[in-house]
Amino acid sequence: MLRITGGKVYDPANGVNGVIRDVCIQDGRIVADVEAGRTINATGMVVFPGGVDVHTHVAGAALNFARAMIPEDHLHSEPFVRTAIRRGGISGATPTTYVTGYLYGGLGYTTVNEAAVPILSARHTHEELRDTPIVDKSTCVLMANNEILLDQLEAGETERARHFLAWCVGAAKAYGVKAVNPGGVTAWKWGKDANTLYELVPGYNKITPAGIIQSLARIVDDLGLPHPLHLHCNNLGVPGNYATTLETLKLVESNRAHIAHIQYHAYGGNDWTTMRSESTRIADYFNAHPNLTADAGAVLFGNTVTITADGPWQHLLYKLTGRKWGNIDVENETGCGVVPYVYKEKNLVNAIQWAVGLEMLLLISDPWRMSLTTDHPNGAAFWRYPEIIELLMNADFRREQIKKLPPKVLERIILPELTREYTLYEIAIITSAGPARSLGLRQKGHLGIGADADVAVFNDIKEARKMFAYPRYVIKGGEVVIEEGEVRKTVEGHSLLTQPFHDPKIADFIRPLFQQYYTMSFDNYPVEMERLEHPDVQPCTQANS
Amino acid sequence: MGGKVSCTLGEVKNRADLIVYWGGNPAECHPRHFTKYSLMPKGRFVPNGRKDRTMILVDIRETASAKAADIFLQVRPAKDFEMITVLRALIKEQPVDTKLVAETGLTLEELTDFAQRLKKAKFGVFFFGMGLSMTRGKHMNSAALLTLAAELNAFTKFVAMPMRGHGNVTGGDVIMRWTTGYPFGVNLARGYPRFNPGEYSTIDLLIRGDTDAVLVLGADPGATMPQPAIDHMVRVPTIVLDPKVTHTSKIARVHITTAVTGISAPGTAYRMDEIPLPLKPPLKSPYPTDEEVIRRIYQAVAKKPPLMPPVRPKVPRV
Ligand SMILES: [Zn+2]
Repeated sequence: MLRITGGKVYDPANGVNGVIRDVCIQDGRIVADVEAGRTINATGMVVFPGGVDVHTHVAGAALNFARAMIPEDHLHSEPFVRTAIRRGGISGATPTTYVTGYLYGGLGYTTVNEAAVPILSARHTHEELRDTPIVDKSTCVLMANNEILLDQLEAGETERARHFLAWCVGAAKAYGVKAVNPGGVTAWKWGKDANTLYELVPGYNKITPAGIIQSLARIVDDLGLPHPLHLHCNNLGVPGNYATTLETLKLVESNRAHIAHIQYHAYGGNDWTTMRSESTRIADYFNAHPNLTADAGAVLFGNTVTITADGPWQHLLYKLTGRKWGNIDVENETGCGVVPYVYKEKNLVNAIQWAVGLEMLLLISDPWRMSLTTDHPNGAAFWRYPEIIELLMNADFRREQIKKLPPKVLERIILPELTREYTLYEIAIITSAGPARSLGLRQKGHLGIGADADVAVFNDIKEARKMFAYPRYVIKGGEVVIEEGEVRKTVEGHSLLTQPFHDPKIADFIRPLFQQYYTMSFDNYPVEMERLEHPDVQPCTQANS
Repeated sequence: MGGKVSCTLGEVKNRADLIVYWGGNPAECHPRHFTKYSLMPKGRFVPNGRKDRTMILVDIRETASAKAADIFLQVRPAKDFEMITVLRALIKEQPVDTKLVAETGLTLEELTDFAQRLKKAKFGVFFFGMGLSMTRGKHMNSAALLTLAAELNAFTKFVAMPMRGHGNVTGGDVIMRWTTGYPFGVNLARGYPRFNPGEYSTIDLLIRGDTDAVLVLGADPGATMPQPAIDHMVRVPTIVLDPKVTHTSKIARVHITTAVTGISAPGTAYRMDEIPLPLKPPLKSPYPTDEEVIRRIYQAVAKKPPLMPPVRPKVPRV
């Protein structure tokens, strides 16, 4: 039993805006009152629901591939010395798994969504997530370039496509469905890309990226998955891509969709020298369409490594940077690319990217539909979130930073005109309540009775950057895990997953195709439930029909 | 420069129309490679299997694998790097030094034809073995070949993949990376991982006599390591976990017999393309699994006073 008393509580899901009240915890849940147990005096502090990251890359084959590619960067990463409580490891752009848990916990985050999992290596992802303490974990499985699925769409077998997709989510022990550069990664398997939404996907006679996007958004809604289609649009990172993004948003008008790292999809111009921000056009459309949620994918200057299932984009980035390039194509399913990258303040393109991330966060008016992310580690490492919070809450600080940019950037961005400053209430929404709602996790992101007892307590000070970098207390599932900036206890997280309904006969359909196209035996393909740490199946809304 | 451009083995099965084995002898070392993954299978985009594929073998001698090849290119020993450099120039249609060409033991015509085939492939793959990565030049050779594969992507689709050794070497590599950030050669003596191959790799530590004890798991270094390293294992307490008697277990102070992973113990093995396969044991064993033994050793050690204080101040972020 635990009582947090005297703190100013921000619980947007329950409309609580900076009210001094007690938060009581028993058996891992928020309760109305407790009679005994420890009391934390939070006078002079603010109390938030634990943070929720809707889009991050913290585990699995691609990230682990990236770790191997940047040993020279690890040398400069913060070391985590082993103690009796905590394991050793390193931080940096690709923290080791244990350190990932300590770092997220150390920011007051208690739930993360690993956004890109191939079914073929899902077992690997879950093994890493098991070694990631403190946070609860959900995953999204990559489907938009899955050739068995595309074959069904090509043949007009939408019903079978739905059963197949549902089977795949269950096999990967995933929570949601991700689409990355629909059709483009399939094209990449022949060294090509999909640059427009209405061109045929190589190897197919009927399907286009547009068709794939619409079908997937519809299937995800039909299955009643708690999280909408998690969509990484075509033409990521390319000047002029805002037009593709707008077209994509129109395609999913009658469905729900979550637009991943929207910053990377809001550029104007024709090439790298004429690139400009088109955040206003994207935000205007977005604001008028409540079926959409998004995350920022904001960029901060510095060293990082970019990792995505978007193989053709990574090849382009490699040609631009001339640095290292890693690529792994995954049979029948997806691809993955890794390119180490430095965002430079004095670089025109990078400065525009930095501004666009903040513009999207400031222009999207409803914080409930916009989550804070850096598409970790693509835009910056997640442990730099407090820097972004400072930029959002403090317009003066923002102006100081804008002064450091190359002057010719100013005519390409609108950030200097934006005066909005986020309130603490809004920060609680974009870091916790909003992403929890977007993910459809009813137990997360709030402090109402019955919610999971995931709580972060921060000093109530002016510098947001310091305030959010060093929480005073973090409580996960009712246990105090961080105290005075240190890991005091490590708990194991839960694996959040869904098991959408599928016709059991679909396995008979998949088996022979699988034997033909794959190199693993069909029976070894699905991840066994026993391999998950504390599996926690979340309900779908669809009836079993 | 460079990079690592690869894929899972199913991509080779479904797409590869040009397969190059370099410095390896799969016919004898990876006997199922041809039939399961590379040459023989009928794939999605190579429906006629072997007929749709061209196989080229590059090696210093004509091994058993040469019989399976359409073209055999015999490179002069220790001249792989030179040969790769010539190919990198030829694909970009740059002039090449005829002296350098002569050193490789191959003619300009042979190399030009090879370069053309590399560029014309729809989907090409280099499988490279110990003959490339463990001979003169070592990782420079592998790096050069990986770079050639990356550069070929300006013309077509090309990937490269190392042919790893036996056992679950890849699995060890993969787990070391997610727990320490590095694949091997990691020193944890300061309480956090530090990486320096050549300084912290096993052979170097043993030869220098830096370790007080040795724990051997799933390996037989007593059979393969240089004598000074073996001598050190004899000198200090060496503990071996192995289902059978090995060269190392014979010189060890303690040999704990364990169940055989995959036969009588469950687990995971990572394939050479880093795809994890579950191991489902058909038999039961009277012996404990490796995992169980390590857990019990760990529990016993945990009862001793901690080496590190319970909480250490975090190193401040800069
Ligand atoms: Zn991402």
